[in-house]
Amino acid sequence: MGTTVLIGMSDVIEPGLELQERQNRFVSQHFRRIFVQIYHVVQNVADAQDLTQEAFIKALQHQEQLKDENKAAHWLSRIATNTAIDFLRRSGRATFCELDEAPESHSESPEQILLRSEHREYLEDGLRLLSARERAALIMRDVEGLPADEVAERMNCSKATVRSHIANGRTKFRRYMERRKR
Amino acid sequence: MRHPNQATLALHAGADLGPFRRWLTARHVARCTYCSQEVAGYTEMRELLPELAELPEISWNRMAAEIKANVRLGLEAGECVRSEMPLHHASLAGWRAVVAFASVLVLVGGCLVLERPAPQMVHTAETSVASAKDGVQLQAGDNRMLGLMNVGAQKAVYHFDAQGSMGSRYTDPETGSITINTVSYAQ
Repeated sequence: MGTTVLIGMSDVIEPGLELQERQNRFVSQHFRRIFVQIYHVVQNVADAQDLTQEAFIKALQHQEQLKDENKAAHWLSRIATNTAIDFLRRSGRATFCELDEAPESHSESPEQILLRSEHREYLEDGLRLLSARERAALIMRDVEGLPADEVAERMNCSKATVRSHIANGRTKFRRYMERRKR
Repeated sequence: MRHPNQATLALHAGADLGPFRRWLTARHVARCTYCSQEVAGYTEMRELLPELAELPEISWNRMAAEIKANVRLGLEAGECVRSEMPLHHASLAGWRAVVAFASVLVLVGGCLVLERPAPQMVHTAETSVASAKDGVQLQAGDNRMLGLMNVGAQKAVYHFDAQGSMGSRYTDPETGSITINTVSYAQ
């Protein structure tokens, strides 16, 4: 998982610096974390990159909405989460991980790479059965390991709602796994 | 024995229940084989999911450059759209002003038409013209009366108008002179 750099917007966009340079610094300091966060939800590199760009554009266009500068990272994460959820809703499809994009280790044999790719595809098939919000909540809780409170904050909803999304996500995913076992 | 529902068991597997429900569920699961297996199933599933966190090999430097360039492009495009927005808004505002002005005119016109006093009917029921000896009498109401007497005149011609005046024209048979009289109520 990418490192979380809690950094205030004023630290990034200092007055006196050229605007473009300040924006570039802001992107540089956060893009990796935001990309990873979005990638976990959409599970596709190209889509995650597009959505990362979209999230940064939204954030920089509305930076006046950021009231507490200490929450810049959380604010950006929330924008990224909403952007990813909107994408899943819009597209109404799950995205496949291309074989050449699949996680790989140089020590793995081609058979191992293929097996791992198949296993990943199996997990992604399960994610497709979830709604956009169930999927995002499950990924943040069970893949990224965020506490439910933080998931609720990122998704801009109550903890009870997040628990409901997580419970539904786990139940649906487990049913899927059982069906595939048969 | 009443079993917790699947949602509760799914949340219990991830330690996502509140303290009291967690305690209740744990107590039940410890004694119930079926629920214990269900929780184990959810736990097994949760252990698989972190595999989705693995990232493919990514050239971060290339991606950073692409993202920065595209963000810049997106922001500039947004600025272009924003700078065009006021014009668009201005023309919209102009149309709105025209429509509002026209609406006000219609309203005012409508009010004037509705408020214009209707012409009052002159009740002439109380006005009467009566012939009298050697002349005519015009009576309006109970108190006002006009009389036009032309003693000895022949072939006198009388005329009346709606404003309450009347007149007569006749020729004196003895002198041959023509006399014209007009009288009216004072306003």
